[in-house]
Amino acid sequence: MTNTKVLLDPTSENAPAERSLSKRPETLIALTVGLLDISKGRGDIFLNRLEEKLTDTGIKVLRFKKPTFTKPAPVDLRHEIASKCDAVIEALAD
Amino acid sequence: MFERSWTDGLPVVPPTAERVRKMLGGTSRSADEIVVSVPPNLIECNVEKIAINAVMAGCKPEFLPVVISALETICTEEFNMHGVLATTMSVGPVFVVNGPIARDIGMNSGINVLGHGNRANSTIGRAVQLVINNVGGGGPGGVDRSTLGHMGKQGFCFSENELSSPWPSLAENRGYNSSQNVITAFTGEGPRLVMDQKSRTPESLIRTLAEHLISTVSSSVVVGMDAMLVLSPEHSARFHEAGWSKDRFLEEITGMMMIDTDNIIAGSGGIEEGLPAELKGMSLPKFRPGGLLLAQAGGPAGLFSAIIGGWLNGPSGSEPTSKEILL
Amino acid sequence: MHDIDDIERRGIPAVMIASTPFEDAAQKQADALGLDIARVFVPHPVQDRTDEEMHEMADLVFNKVLDTLTR
Repeated sequence: MTNTKVLLDPTSENAPAERSLSKRPETLIALTVGLLDISKGRGDIFLNRLEEKLTDTGIKVLRFKKPTFTKPAPVDLRHEIASKCDAVIEALAD
Repeated sequence: MFERSWTDGLPVVPPTAERVRKMLGGTSRSADEIVVSVPPNLIECNVEKIAINAVMAGCKPEFLPVVISALETICTEEFNMHGVLATTMSVGPVFVVNGPIARDIGMNSGINVLGHGNRANSTIGRAVQLVINNVGGGGPGGVDRSTLGHMGKQGFCFSENELSSPWPSLAENRGYNSSQNVITAFTGEGPRLVMDQKSRTPESLIRTLAEHLISTVSSSVVVGMDAMLVLSPEHSARFHEAGWSKDRFLEEITGMMMIDTDNIIAGSGGIEEGLPAELKGMSLPKFRPGGLLLAQAGGPAGLFSAIIGGWLNGPSGSEPTSKEILL
Repeated sequence: MHDIDDIERRGIPAVMIASTPFEDAAQKQADALGLDIARVFVPHPVQDRTDEEMHEMADLVFNKVLDTLTR
Protein backbone atom coordinates (compact mmCIF):
# COMPACT_ATOMS: atom_id res chain seq x y z
CA MET A 1 0.00 0.00 0.00
CA THR A 2 1.36 3.38 -0.88
CA ASN A 3 0.67 6.34 1.28
CA THR A 4 1.61 9.47 -0.61
CA LYS A 5 0.84 12.87 0.75
CA VAL A 6 0.77 16.01 -1.30
CA LEU A 7 2.46 18.93 0.40
CA LEU A 8 1.83 22.56 -0.38
CA ASP A 9 4.87 24.60 -1.40
CA PRO A 10 6.04 27.01 1.33
CA THR A 11 8.33 28.95 -1.03
CA SER A 12 7.70 31.94 -3.25
CA GLU A 13 7.68 29.77 -6.39
CA ASN A 14 9.15 32.82 -8.15
CA ALA A 15 11.83 32.20 -10.72
CA PRO A 16 13.31 35.57 -11.65
CA ALA A 17 13.64 36.37 -15.36
CA GLU A 18 17.31 36.12 -16.29
CA ARG A 19 18.60 39.47 -17.51
CA SER A 20 21.95 40.44 -18.92
CA LEU A 21 24.23 43.25 -17.81
CA SER A 22 24.07 46.70 -19.38
CA LYS A 23 26.27 47.28 -22.38
CA ARG A 24 29.82 48.20 -21.37
CA PRO A 25 31.79 50.97 -23.13
CA GLU A 26 35.19 50.30 -24.78
CA THR A 27 36.87 52.61 -22.31
CA LEU A 28 35.92 54.84 -19.40
CA ILE A 29 38.36 57.58 -20.38
CA ALA A 30 36.54 60.92 -20.64
CA LEU A 31 33.41 59.32 -19.19
CA THR A 32 31.98 59.93 -15.70
CA VAL A 33 32.14 57.24 -13.06
CA GLY A 34 29.99 57.53 -9.93
CA LEU A 35 31.50 56.27 -6.69
CA LEU A 36 28.72 55.24 -4.33
CA ASP A 37 29.82 55.05 -0.73
CA ILE A 38 27.55 52.68 1.23
CA SER A 39 28.45 54.46 4.52
CA LYS A 40 30.29 51.62 6.14
CA GLY A 41 33.47 52.28 8.14
CA ARG A 42 36.71 52.58 6.12
CA GLY A 43 34.86 52.64 2.78
CA ASP A 44 35.59 56.35 2.29
CA ILE A 45 39.36 55.79 2.57
CA PHE A 46 39.13 53.02 -0.02
CA LEU A 47 37.04 55.17 -2.35
CA ASN A 48 39.37 58.17 -1.97
CA ARG A 49 42.14 56.04 -3.39
CA LEU A 50 39.97 54.72 -6.23
CA GLU A 51 39.02 58.32 -7.05
CA GLU A 52 42.68 59.33 -7.19
CA LYS A 53 43.50 56.47 -9.54
CA LEU A 54 40.46 57.03 -11.76
CA THR A 55 41.23 60.75 -12.06
CA ASP A 56 44.88 59.98 -12.91
CA THR A 57 43.63 57.69 -15.67
CA GLY A 58 41.59 60.53 -17.18
CA ILE A 59 38.20 59.39 -15.91
CA LYS A 60 35.81 61.92 -14.38
CA VAL A 61 34.55 61.03 -10.91
CA LEU A 62 31.42 62.02 -9.02
CA ARG A 63 31.00 61.00 -5.39
CA PHE A 64 27.73 59.85 -3.83
CA LYS A 65 26.94 58.50 -0.41
CA LYS A 66 23.87 56.59 0.64
CA PRO A 67 22.56 57.30 4.14
CA THR A 68 23.05 53.78 5.46
CA PHE A 69 24.61 50.51 4.37
CA THR A 70 21.72 48.58 5.91
CA LYS A 71 19.16 49.66 3.32
CA PRO A 72 19.03 50.19 -0.44
CA ALA A 73 19.84 53.75 -1.55
CA PRO A 74 16.83 56.11 -1.69
CA VAL A 75 15.19 56.13 -5.10
CA ASP A 76 16.01 59.83 -5.68
CA LEU A 77 19.68 59.13 -5.15
CA ARG A 78 19.64 56.19 -7.55
CA HIS A 79 17.92 58.38 -10.11
CA GLU A 80 20.48 61.17 -9.64
CA ILE A 81 23.37 58.74 -10.01
CA ALA A 82 21.90 57.20 -13.14
CA SER A 83 21.30 60.60 -14.70
CA LYS A 84 24.82 61.91 -14.06
CA CYS A 85 27.07 58.89 -14.52
CA ASP A 86 28.17 56.55 -17.32
CA ALA A 87 29.21 53.83 -14.87
CA VAL A 88 28.97 53.19 -11.14
CA ILE A 89 31.19 51.60 -8.49
CA GLU A 90 29.58 50.80 -5.12
CA ALA A 91 31.77 50.06 -2.09
CA LEU A 92 32.65 48.78 0.45
CA ALA A 93 30.60 45.95 1.91
CA ASP A 94 32.31 43.86 4.56
CA MET B 1 11.86 19.13 3.41
CA PHE B 2 15.16 19.72 5.17
CA GLU B 3 17.04 18.86 1.98
CA ARG B 4 15.02 21.44 0.10
CA SER B 5 16.12 24.07 2.67
CA TRP B 6 12.50 24.53 3.77
CA THR B 7 13.23 24.16 7.48
CA ASP B 8 15.23 25.79 10.25
CA GLY B 9 17.04 22.55 11.06
CA LEU B 10 14.32 21.13 13.29
CA PRO B 11 11.59 18.80 12.03
CA VAL B 12 8.52 20.55 10.64
CA VAL B 13 4.87 19.54 10.32
CA PRO B 14 4.16 18.49 6.70
CA PRO B 15 1.94 21.22 5.18
CA THR B 16 -0.85 19.13 3.70
CA ALA B 17 -3.81 20.81 2.01
CA GLU B 18 -6.06 19.77 4.89
CA ARG B 19 -3.82 21.26 7.58
CA VAL B 20 -3.37 24.48 5.62
CA ARG B 21 -7.14 24.75 5.14
CA LYS B 22 -7.64 24.42 8.90
CA MET B 23 -4.89 26.98 9.54
CA LEU B 24 -6.62 29.47 7.25
CA GLY B 25 -9.70 29.15 9.46
CA GLY B 26 -7.76 31.10 12.12
CA THR B 27 -8.02 34.40 10.27
CA SER B 28 -10.83 36.41 8.73
CA ARG B 29 -8.53 37.39 5.88
CA SER B 30 -8.84 35.67 2.55
CA ALA B 31 -6.17 33.18 1.49
CA ASP B 32 -5.14 35.15 -1.56
CA GLU B 33 -4.82 38.52 0.13
CA ILE B 34 -1.29 39.89 -0.34
CA VAL B 35 -0.26 41.14 3.07
CA VAL B 36 3.49 41.76 2.92
CA SER B 37 6.46 41.99 0.62
CA VAL B 38 9.04 39.68 2.19
CA PRO B 39 12.74 40.55 2.23
CA PRO B 40 15.41 39.96 1.13
CA ASN B 41 13.97 39.22 -2.31
CA LEU B 42 10.90 41.43 -1.69
CA ILE B 43 8.44 38.73 -2.67
CA GLU B 44 4.75 39.55 -2.43
CA CYS B 45 3.29 37.09 0.03
CA ASN B 46 -0.34 36.12 0.54
CA VAL B 47 -2.09 34.73 3.58
CA GLU B 48 -1.97 31.19 2.23
CA LYS B 49 1.85 31.15 2.00
CA ILE B 50 2.02 32.38 5.58
CA ALA B 51 -0.46 29.66 6.62
CA ILE B 52 1.66 26.95 4.95
CA ASN B 53 4.72 28.07 6.89
CA ALA B 54 2.67 28.40 10.09
CA VAL B 55 1.59 24.75 9.73
CA MET B 56 5.21 23.74 9.30
CA ALA B 57 6.22 25.71 12.41
CA GLY B 58 3.60 23.90 14.50
CA CYS B 59 1.18 26.81 14.98
CA LYS B 60 -2.46 26.38 15.91
CA PRO B 61 -4.95 28.21 13.64
CA GLU B 62 -5.64 30.80 16.34
CA PHE B 63 -1.98 31.86 16.22
CA LEU B 64 -2.19 32.79 12.54
CA PRO B 65 -3.37 36.40 13.02
CA VAL B 66 -0.36 37.01 15.29
CA VAL B 67 2.02 35.50 12.72
CA ILE B 68 0.55 37.67 9.95
CA SER B 69 0.80 40.83 12.06
CA ALA B 70 4.33 39.93 13.13
CA LEU B 71 5.29 39.85 9.45
CA GLU B 72 3.50 43.16 8.90
CA THR B 73 5.67 44.79 11.57
CA ILE B 74 9.01 43.55 10.27
CA CYS B 75 8.45 43.75 6.51
CA THR B 76 8.54 47.54 6.65
CA GLU B 77 11.02 50.26 5.78
CA GLU B 78 11.28 51.29 9.44
CA PHE B 79 11.96 47.81 10.85
CA ASN B 80 14.32 47.00 7.98
CA MET B 81 14.22 43.19 8.12
CA HIS B 82 16.63 42.98 5.19
CA GLY B 83 19.28 44.83 7.21
CA VAL B 84 18.55 42.76 10.32
CA LEU B 85 18.98 39.59 8.29
CA ALA B 86 22.15 40.64 6.48
CA THR B 87 24.06 42.03 9.45
CA THR B 88 27.00 40.09 10.86
CA MET B 89 25.80 41.01 14.37
CA SER B 90 23.90 38.43 16.43
CA VAL B 91 20.39 39.77 16.18
CA GLY B 92 16.97 38.75 14.99
CA PRO B 93 13.38 39.89 15.41
CA VAL B 94 12.01 39.70 18.96
CA PHE B 95 8.22 39.94 19.31
CA VAL B 96 6.22 41.08 22.33
CA VAL B 97 2.46 40.46 22.27
CA ASN B 98 0.09 42.60 24.35
CA GLY B 99 -3.66 42.50 24.80
CA PRO B 100 -6.35 39.86 25.36
CA ILE B 101 -5.21 37.70 22.44
CA ALA B 102 -2.05 36.77 24.34
CA ARG B 103 -4.19 35.18 27.06
CA ASP B 104 -6.76 33.75 24.62
CA ILE B 105 -4.18 31.78 22.66
CA GLY B 106 -2.35 30.68 25.80
CA MET B 107 0.87 32.62 25.46
CA ASN B 108 3.35 32.45 28.29
CA SER B 109 4.32 35.58 30.19
CA GLY B 110 5.42 33.74 33.33
CA ILE B 111 7.94 31.03 34.24
CA ASN B 112 10.60 30.52 31.56
CA VAL B 113 8.99 33.30 29.50
CA LEU B 114 12.01 33.78 27.25
CA GLY B 115 12.59 30.05 26.94
CA HIS B 116 10.86 27.00 25.54
CA GLY B 117 7.83 24.97 26.55
CA ASN B 118 4.88 27.04 25.36
CA ARG B 119 3.40 26.24 21.97
CA ALA B 120 2.38 29.80 21.04
CA ASN B 121 5.64 31.41 22.17
CA SER B 122 7.69 28.73 20.46
CA THR B 123 5.92 28.56 17.11
CA ILE B 124 4.82 32.13 16.26
CA GLY B 125 8.35 33.50 15.91
CA ARG B 126 9.38 30.27 14.22
CA ALA B 127 6.66 30.64 11.58
CA VAL B 128 7.85 34.18 10.86
CA GLN B 129 11.43 33.00 10.37
CA LEU B 130 10.25 30.20 8.06
CA VAL B 131 8.44 32.77 5.91
CA ILE B 132 11.62 34.89 5.70
CA ASN B 133 13.58 31.78 4.72
CA ASN B 134 11.10 30.14 2.36
CA VAL B 135 9.23 33.06 0.80
CA GLY B 136 11.78 35.88 1.18
CA GLY B 137 14.75 33.67 0.32
CA GLY B 138 16.84 34.75 3.31
CA GLY B 139 18.52 31.97 5.24
CA PRO B 140 21.72 31.49 7.23
CA GLY B 141 24.80 31.40 5.05
CA GLY B 142 22.89 33.08 2.23
CA VAL B 143 21.74 36.62 2.92
CA ASP B 144 21.81 35.96 6.68
CA ARG B 145 25.45 36.73 7.51
CA SER B 146 25.31 36.61 11.31
CA THR B 147 28.75 35.74 12.68
CA LEU B 148 27.35 33.96 15.72
CA GLY B 149 23.57 34.16 15.61
CA HIS B 150 21.59 33.22 18.69
CA MET B 151 19.04 30.60 19.70
CA GLY B 152 16.20 33.13 19.62
CA LYS B 153 16.55 33.34 15.86
CA GLN B 154 14.71 30.02 15.83
CA GLY B 155 11.75 32.21 16.81
CA PHE B 156 11.56 34.70 19.67
CA CYS B 157 8.10 35.72 20.85
CA PHE B 158 6.62 36.27 24.30
CA SER B 159 3.84 38.18 25.99
CA GLU B 160 3.93 40.69 28.78
CA ASN B 161 2.52 39.96 32.21
CA GLU B 162 0.32 43.02 32.03
CA LEU B 163 -2.52 42.07 34.38
CA SER B 164 -0.45 41.98 37.56
CA SER B 165 1.42 45.24 36.99
CA PRO B 166 0.22 48.73 37.83
CA TRP B 167 2.51 50.10 35.14
CA PRO B 168 1.37 50.66 31.55
CA SER B 169 2.33 47.89 29.16
CA LEU B 170 4.84 48.21 26.35
CA ALA B 171 1.93 48.60 23.90
CA GLU B 172 0.31 51.30 26.04
CA ASN B 173 3.60 53.21 26.06
CA ARG B 174 3.55 52.97 22.30
CA GLY B 175 0.12 54.57 21.98
CA TYR B 176 -2.33 51.67 22.18
CA ASN B 177 -4.86 50.84 24.88
CA SER B 178 -5.04 47.72 27.00
CA SER B 179 -8.02 46.26 25.14
CA GLN B 180 -6.18 46.29 21.82
CA ASN B 181 -4.21 43.30 20.60
CA VAL B 182 -0.77 44.58 19.68
CA ILE B 183 2.49 43.07 18.52
CA THR B 184 5.78 44.91 18.85
CA ALA B 185 8.91 43.87 16.98
CA PHE B 186 12.35 44.72 18.28
CA THR B 187 15.71 43.77 16.80
CA GLY B 188 17.51 41.92 19.55
CA GLU B 189 20.25 39.62 20.71
CA GLY B 190 19.70 36.67 22.98
CA PRO B 191 18.68 37.61 26.53
CA ARG B 192 21.26 38.10 29.28
CA LEU B 193 20.51 37.74 32.97
CA VAL B 194 20.93 40.56 35.48
CA MET B 195 21.24 39.34 39.06
CA ASP B 196 20.47 41.46 42.09
CA GLN B 197 19.14 39.47 45.04
CA LYS B 198 20.07 41.93 47.77
CA SER B 199 18.57 45.29 46.84
CA ARG B 200 15.51 46.08 48.92
CA THR B 201 15.07 49.62 47.68
CA PRO B 202 14.38 50.89 44.17
CA GLU B 203 17.33 53.27 44.50
CA SER B 204 19.72 50.36 44.89
CA LEU B 205 18.17 47.98 42.37
CA ILE B 206 18.02 50.58 39.63
CA ARG B 207 21.78 51.10 39.94
CA THR B 208 22.41 47.41 39.29
CA LEU B 209 20.14 47.51 36.25
CA ALA B 210 21.81 50.67 34.89
CA GLU B 211 25.28 49.22 35.38
CA HIS B 212 24.42 46.10 33.38
CA LEU B 213 22.61 48.03 30.67
CA ILE B 214 25.66 50.23 30.10
CA SER B 215 27.67 47.22 28.93
CA THR B 216 25.05 46.24 26.33
CA VAL B 217 26.71 45.34 23.00
CA SER B 218 29.88 47.13 24.11
CA SER B 219 30.53 49.68 26.84
CA SER B 220 31.85 52.02 24.17
CA VAL B 221 28.61 51.99 22.17
CA VAL B 222 26.44 54.97 23.08
CA VAL B 223 23.21 56.40 21.60
CA GLY B 224 23.32 54.27 18.45
CA MET B 225 21.80 51.03 19.71
CA ASP B 226 18.67 50.29 21.75
CA ALA B 227 17.90 47.62 24.35
CA MET B 228 14.91 45.92 25.88
CA LEU B 229 14.83 45.32 29.62
CA VAL B 230 12.61 42.45 30.74
CA LEU B 231 11.84 43.19 34.35
CA SER B 232 10.78 40.17 36.42
CA PRO B 233 7.83 40.30 38.85
CA GLU B 234 10.03 40.39 41.95
CA HIS B 235 12.26 43.12 40.57
CA SER B 236 9.21 45.04 39.31
CA ALA B 237 7.63 44.81 42.76
CA ARG B 238 10.54 46.73 44.30
CA PHE B 239 9.49 49.72 42.21
CA HIS B 240 5.73 49.22 42.39
CA GLU B 241 5.74 48.90 46.19
CA ALA B 242 7.79 52.07 46.60
CA GLY B 243 5.25 53.91 44.46
CA TRP B 244 7.51 54.52 41.48
CA SER B 245 5.77 55.09 38.17
CA LYS B 246 7.16 53.66 34.95
CA ASP B 247 7.97 57.20 33.80
CA ARG B 248 9.95 57.83 36.95
CA PHE B 249 11.80 54.55 36.52
CA LEU B 250 12.76 55.41 32.95
CA GLU B 251 13.75 58.95 33.84
CA GLU B 252 15.95 57.91 36.76
CA ILE B 253 17.66 55.08 34.89
CA THR B 254 18.34 57.36 31.92
CA GLY B 255 20.09 59.77 34.29
CA MET B 256 22.27 56.94 35.59
CA MET B 257 23.38 55.97 32.11
CA MET B 258 25.06 59.21 31.06
CA ILE B 259 28.51 58.24 29.81
CA ASP B 260 31.63 60.36 30.17
CA THR B 261 33.12 59.97 26.69
CA ASP B 262 36.69 60.36 27.98
CA ASN B 263 36.36 56.80 29.29
CA ILE B 264 35.36 55.29 25.97
CA ILE B 265 37.60 57.14 23.49
CA ALA B 266 39.61 54.73 21.29
CA GLY B 267 42.76 53.84 23.19
CA SER B 268 41.28 54.58 26.61
CA GLY B 269 42.09 51.85 29.12
CA GLY B 270 44.40 50.25 26.56
CA ILE B 271 41.45 49.31 24.32
CA GLU B 272 41.66 50.27 20.66
CA GLU B 273 37.90 50.04 20.10
CA GLY B 274 36.13 53.25 21.04
CA LEU B 275 34.85 56.63 19.99
CA PRO B 276 36.92 59.00 17.83
CA ALA B 277 39.05 61.51 19.77
CA GLU B 278 36.89 64.46 18.62
CA LEU B 279 34.15 63.26 20.98
CA LYS B 280 36.29 63.76 24.08
CA GLY B 281 34.94 65.77 26.99
CA MET B 282 31.27 65.02 26.37
CA SER B 283 28.55 63.35 28.36
CA LEU B 284 26.36 61.14 26.14
CA PRO B 285 23.38 58.93 27.00
CA LYS B 286 23.82 55.17 26.64
CA PHE B 287 20.45 55.04 24.85
CA ARG B 288 18.73 57.66 22.70
CA PRO B 289 15.46 59.03 24.14
CA GLY B 290 13.00 56.14 24.05
CA GLY B 291 15.80 53.73 23.15
CA LEU B 292 15.29 51.63 26.27
CA LEU B 293 12.16 49.48 25.96
CA LEU B 294 10.71 47.91 29.03
CA ALA B 295 8.61 44.76 29.28
CA GLN B 296 7.43 43.05 32.46
CA ALA B 297 7.42 39.27 32.42
CA GLY B 298 8.78 36.18 34.11
CA GLY B 299 8.07 33.71 36.87
CA PRO B 300 6.93 34.79 40.33
CA ALA B 301 10.12 33.84 42.14
CA GLY B 302 13.61 35.04 41.31
CA LEU B 303 15.35 38.37 41.80
CA PHE B 304 16.62 38.45 38.25
CA SER B 305 15.78 40.41 35.14
CA ALA B 306 17.00 40.14 31.57
CA ILE B 307 18.50 42.47 29.00
CA ILE B 308 17.97 41.97 25.30
CA GLY B 309 20.61 44.03 23.51
CA GLY B 310 19.60 45.75 20.29
CA TRP B 311 21.12 46.75 16.99
CA LEU B 312 21.65 49.97 15.03
CA ASN B 313 18.64 52.16 15.68
CA GLY B 314 16.94 54.95 13.77
CA PRO B 315 16.63 55.39 10.01
CA SER B 316 20.05 53.80 9.43
CA GLY B 317 19.11 50.62 11.28
CA SER B 318 15.93 49.18 12.72
CA GLU B 319 13.12 50.96 14.56
CA PRO B 320 10.97 49.08 17.07
CA THR B 321 7.66 48.67 15.27
CA SER B 322 4.18 47.98 16.64
CA LYS B 323 0.99 46.97 14.90
CA GLU B 324 -2.53 46.12 15.98
CA ILE B 325 -3.31 42.47 15.31
CA LEU B 326 -6.14 42.00 12.84
CA LEU B 327 -8.10 38.88 13.76
CA MET C 1 23.01 44.69 -4.48
CA HIS C 2 19.52 46.06 -4.93
CA ASP C 3 21.24 49.39 -5.74
CA ILE C 4 23.39 47.85 -8.46
CA ASP C 5 20.40 45.95 -9.81
CA ASP C 6 18.41 49.19 -10.03
CA ILE C 7 21.24 51.13 -11.67
CA GLU C 8 21.76 48.31 -14.18
CA ARG C 9 18.03 48.38 -14.94
CA ARG C 10 18.53 52.01 -15.89
CA GLY C 11 21.15 50.89 -18.44
CA ILE C 12 24.23 52.05 -16.50
CA PRO C 13 27.11 49.57 -16.05
CA ALA C 14 27.76 49.05 -12.35
CA VAL C 15 29.97 46.99 -10.08
CA MET C 16 29.95 46.28 -6.36
CA ILE C 17 32.98 45.81 -4.17
CA ALA C 18 32.79 43.69 -1.04
CA SER C 19 35.09 41.61 1.10
CA THR C 20 35.63 37.91 0.37
CA PRO C 21 33.33 36.38 3.03
CA PHE C 22 30.41 37.85 1.10
CA GLU C 23 31.11 35.96 -2.14
CA ASP C 24 28.47 33.30 -1.58
CA ALA C 25 25.87 35.78 -0.29
CA ALA C 26 26.43 37.88 -3.41
CA GLN C 27 26.00 34.81 -5.58
CA LYS C 28 22.70 33.90 -3.90
CA GLN C 29 21.40 37.43 -4.17
CA ALA C 30 22.47 37.62 -7.84
CA ASP C 31 20.61 34.35 -8.50
CA ALA C 32 17.52 35.70 -6.78
CA LEU C 33 17.65 38.92 -8.78
CA GLY C 34 18.23 37.06 -12.05
CA LEU C 35 21.19 39.32 -12.87
CA ASP C 36 24.81 38.21 -12.69
CA ILE C 37 25.88 41.44 -11.02
CA ALA C 38 29.50 42.49 -11.64
CA ARG C 39 31.39 42.13 -8.39
CA VAL C 40 34.93 42.39 -7.13
CA PHE C 41 36.14 41.16 -3.75
CA VAL C 42 38.85 42.49 -1.48
CA PRO C 43 40.53 40.60 1.35
CA HIS C 44 38.83 40.50 4.75
CA PRO C 45 38.90 42.05 7.36
CA VAL C 46 38.34 45.70 6.54
CA GLN C 47 37.37 47.44 9.77
CA ASP C 48 40.74 47.20 11.53
CA ARG C 49 42.89 48.36 8.57
CA THR C 50 45.10 51.44 8.48
CA ASP C 51 44.61 54.06 5.76
CA GLU C 52 47.71 52.76 4.01
CA GLU C 53 46.39 49.20 3.98
CA MET C 54 43.08 50.48 2.58
CA HIS C 55 44.99 52.22 -0.24
CA GLU C 56 46.88 49.04 -1.05
CA MET C 57 43.59 47.20 -1.15
CA ALA C 58 42.22 49.73 -3.66
CA ASP C 59 45.37 49.45 -5.79
CA LEU C 60 45.05 45.67 -5.76
CA VAL C 61 41.57 45.61 -7.32
CA PHE C 62 41.66 48.78 -9.43
CA ASN C 63 42.26 47.09 -12.81
CA LYS C 64 39.77 44.34 -12.05
CA VAL C 65 37.12 46.96 -11.30
CA LEU C 66 37.77 48.76 -14.59
CA ASP C 67 37.59 45.43 -16.46
CA THR C 68 34.09 44.76 -15.12
CA LEU C 69 32.87 48.13 -16.41
CA THR C 70 34.36 47.97 -19.91
CA ARG C 71 34.14 45.60 -22.85
